[in-house]
This record gives sequence, C-alpha cells and structure tokens, in this order.
Amino acid sequence: MGCTCSKERLVHEDPAVLAAQTCFNVSEIQGLYELFKELSSSAVDDGLISKEKFQLCLLGSSKIQSLFADRVFHLFDSKNNGVIEFGEFVRALSVFHPVAPQEQKAAFAFQIYDLWQTGFIERDEVRELILALLRESDLILSADLIEAIIDQAFKEADLKGDGKIDLEEWNEFAAQNPSILKNMTIPYLK
Amino acid sequence: MFQTIRQMNRIIDNEERAAESVSSSPMPEEKLDGVLLGKYEICRLLGFGGFGKVYEACHVVTKQSVAIKVVSKRDLRERGLMSQFQTEIAAMRRLNHPHIVKLYEVLATKTKIFLVIEFAKGGELFDKFVKSGPFGEDQHRRWFQQLISAVQHCHSRGVFHRDLKLDNLLLDEDLNIKVSDFGLSATTKDIRPDGKLHALCGTPAYLAPEMLNDKGYDGDKVDVWQCGVVLYVLTFESLPFTGANVQTQLRRIRRGEVRIPRRGKPENLIHLMKRLLDPNAKRRITIDEILKDPWFKKGYTEIKVQQKNLEWEDENRPKSLNAFHLISFGSGFDMSGLFLDRPELEFSGSVERIVSKETPRRIVEIVEAAADRDIVTVTGKEDGMGAKVEGHDGTFAILIGVYRLTDELVVIEVKKKEQDGDMGAQFWKDKLRSRILELEHKPE
Repeated sequence: MGCTCSKERLVHEDPAVLAAQTCFNVSEIQGLYELFKELSSSAVDDGLISKEKFQLCLLGSSKIQSLFADRVFHLFDSKNNGVIEFGEFVRALSVFHPVAPQEQKAAFAFQIYDLWQTGFIERDEVRELILALLRESDLILSADLIEAIIDQAFKEADLKGDGKIDLEEWNEFAAQNPSILKNMTIPYLK
Repeated sequence: MFQTIRQMNRIIDNEERAAESVSSSPMPEEKLDGVLLGKYEICRLLGFGGFGKVYEACHVVTKQSVAIKVVSKRDLRERGLMSQFQTEIAAMRRLNHPHIVKLYEVLATKTKIFLVIEFAKGGELFDKFVKSGPFGEDQHRRWFQQLISAVQHCHSRGVFHRDLKLDNLLLDEDLNIKVSDFGLSATTKDIRPDGKLHALCGTPAYLAPEMLNDKGYDGDKVDVWQCGVVLYVLTFESLPFTGANVQTQLRRIRRGEVRIPRRGKPENLIHLMKRLLDPNAKRRITIDEILKDPWFKKGYTEIKVQQKNLEWEDENRPKSLNAFHLISFGSGFDMSGLFLDRPELEFSGSVERIVSKETPRRIVEIVEAAADRDIVTVTGKEDGMGAKVEGHDGTFAILIGVYRLTDELVVIEVKKKEQDGDMGAQFWKDKLRSRILELEHKPE
C-alpha cells in the first residue's frame, strides 16, 4: 500500500474495524472501496455518494422519482446527512450479503417500509408502496384488487389484529415468507 | 501403411450440385498476419479446413489461444457453399460440450468471415495416432467414450456431424477429444418431409452404406456408423473399407462388406464394433445402447456438460404472492446497479410482469406451443409455476414464472438472460412476447 492509501484512511474507516462489524473480510472491503471510489466519483468527485449519484447507479438516471430508491438511500445514509460515506456504504451493503442473518434483513426491510417512521407498517404505507410499484412497472391492478391484497397481507401478518404491523409481527411474517426478503440479498456479494 | 487410413477428399453435395472435392486446395490469397480487427494477434497458419485457412491466434488482452478459421465471402458464394457454412455456424452455436470445440465468436469484414474457435493444442488425433500410436485398448476406449458423449450431445441439440473421422477429432494438451469441423453437419432443419437427410457428403471411407442408396438416411445412424469406423481405425490401424479406387471402396461400403479381424482383440470389443458397423441402419446400435454396452461402459462416468451462468438464484420461489412480494419488485431495491463489473447477462425487451386470468397450466401450454423445437427446449414445467425456455446453443434462457396473486389472478413474470449474440432476444421478440402479452388481464 502506498502513501495515498494512508491518506485515504484518514478520511475513511479502518477496513479491519469494518470487517469486524460486517459480513465482509478485509480484502473484500478493499474491493468495495474500489467500487465506492468509482461510484462516488461520477459527476462530482468528492468521495461521497449523494442521492443523485445513488439513483444514477440504481436506476440509470438521477431524474426518475423512485420511492424505493429514496427509502433505500435513507437507510444507507445512517447519519442522515444527505450523503453516503464509505463506512455507511459497507455497513448497509453487509445487510445484503448472502450470509447476513435473516433478522437483520427483516429489520432493514421493516425500516424501508415504515415510510413515516412510526415504528409500524400501516395499511396506508403498504398502499403507497404498491402504488409506487404500479407506477414504475407494467402491472395493472384495480383499486379493489389492491385493497383485497392489502387485506390478505394484514390478515396474515397483523397477528395482534390492531390494523398495523409491528417489528415483532413483521419478523414472524418474514420467517413464514422468506421470499419477501429476497430483494435484501445481493448474490454478487458472495 | 498409415497413409491408407487418411482419405483427404471430401464429398460435399449441395443438393443438385455434383460432388465436389474441396480438400486441401490452398487459395492463392494474401497471407494473414498482424492483429485481426484489433482483437486477435495471428501467430501461425495451422492448416486448411473445408472452407478456408485456419490460423492459430491469441487474444490481445486475455492472451487466450484460439483458432481462427478465415473464409472468403466471395469464395463461399462462388462455390455455392454459403448455406452450408451458415449451417456450420448454427450447429456450433447450439453446442456446448467439453469434447466439442467451442465457437467463441464470429467476426466479419467486407470480404471475409472469421470463426474464432477453441484451440486444441494437441492437434489432430490422426497425427498423434500416426506418430505415437497405437495407444492401447484403455486409451482407445477413453477416446471413444468422449466421442460418443460428444455425439450424444450433438444429437440432443439436433445436430448431425456427418463427417466424424480421425482427422476431425482434435486433442487438447491432456489428450482429450475435441470434435471439430462441423462444415458438413446438418441440423433438424435439413430433414426433409420424409424424415430423412438426403445430401451425399462426407469422406468416402467413412460413408455409411445407407448414404449411398439415394433413399435418404438418418443423421444419428450415420454418426454412429462413423464412430464405428473411428473405433475400427483405432483398433486395427487400417480402414474397414478400402479399394484400389473410390468406386471400389464405395461399392464395398454399399454392400456392407466389412471384415472385422479377431486377431487378439477382446470379444466384447469385436461385438460392439460389429453392432456399430451394422450395414442395416435400422438394426445398428443406438447411442443409448452404446452407453449400456459392456466394453464401452468400463470406467465410463457420464460427462457433465458445463452450464453457462444462465441459472437463477431463486430456487425457492413462492407459489403465491402477497403485498410485500409485489412491493419487493420495486426497481429501487435492485442493488445490482451498484456493481459495475457484474456480468451483463440479462436482456430487456419489456414484459417483466403482467397479471393474467389464465391458469399456470394454460400459460405453460401457450409457451410450449410457441417454442420452436429447433431452437429451444422447454423445461421446469413440473412444479406448475411456469417454465424455462432454453436455447439449444446454451446462450440464452427465458424464465416464465407464474405466481398466484388472488383466486382469479396470477402474475406472469418473465426473466431473460443471454450470453454472446442475440438469439434469445430475437426468439423472445419473434415467438413469445406477443403471445404472453395477449394473456394480460386489464381491469375495466
């Protein structure tokens, strides 16, 4: 490692520390660093990934409005300062590692779907998410059908029957339906 | 004596055209050297194939050794071999087997076509055999097993080689067979309405008797016969049918006059050879029977065909979808966009998911009806959750998943992957896309 690397280490977290906290080993983290450098240098090379850059990578355009990319960005940006730093990037990606625990994935998904951060997934949030999906895909569902699908999901997930899904119920539901967390795993990371 | 087992002249009969010898006629052309199309550095001339010169070359970046077959477009046109040449490419594209040379890519300039092919470092089995043979029964069996496995693969993908001989069996550095030169091959497309192939082609010494009777023949039977000739040559170091001239030779083949000497050869080997060289094509041993033959079976383990990365990870697909499955389809969740160097396998072309009122079974039926058996195989129908359409050439796969959404509706999900070329995209566009779209249920 040359001197440029030690300079970078002043800015970025120690790979060994990140390795201890995540599913990645040190050399994988170095690989992720290369990736991070590339992603963060598009448009403005400031060593950070802004929301625009993030959207550009995920959707191929920074112009498209995507509720999903929005939510995922916010979860990556754990310090909530509008940019993703390298440490945040590695920690968030670790959740998507094939060997990351299911509970971690479930908790991450729960936070994405809890749009208004009330600690619950509510019917209105689920409707909002489904409508967002329909807007960006070819799927066409009638309003009645959407309600029926939400009814069915709450019948299965809302065990306490209070009209909202808490984290505990969500974990149980995800354990019963592991395929709903499929998008929380990136096979390439193996 | 070995010269007697090499017969250079080949017969290519392009339907009406008279038999024409296109053996080793070096074309008076400029020598190819330097870097080809900025990609391959030409190293040396390897020899002359049916359609043109073959060079050894090496990829400029990866340094991988390849063989490049250079064919002149004008030459193909003038000799009326364009369609046969296209068959060769189509045949090779369908195949993916450890004992068949791979076609990596086809390049072209205004005047020439370049087939970039796997380079077999060991050269022709013929040369190896003449120089260092015979190799003994076990080695012969090993080669024969590899040959049969390769031929079985060809037939499963609707390709008939029709010119199997020692000269067309190449070797890699570990003395493994690589079947090459599909220049005279036929595909299922060439089968006439009578269910037979008709073109008279091949190398005289290896022609099967039924090829000479003008009544048409089965490509798979002919290939088996030629494997028999190969085994005969390996065992006895001579051709089963010889003659002072080609006419005599062909007459002997037509009569099926094969004498298999017994001198010191194992009984079961002679038995297998007799069954391979049975002049009666109907009675001749089949590939499936060869696989069960005692002499053949010794030490044989089924040779696995390596699958290209056209698999999907999600083997645990849900039977039905709930609200959160739908949500998880959101594109913002697809993190693959972050990985710049990920293999670009998936091809687009709309219809990723639609809802439909059809049953999963009906949808699979429609997919099957649309699938052209010449190009694709339909698998994975058993679980009632859709089907997988795979190109014979192994370059593309289309997964059509069917998931229950409500009592009345299903979601049809289409995933497409492709490697090298656009066969998959074409197939999807021409055969499947509109039929799937027709199934969509739109609320009033």
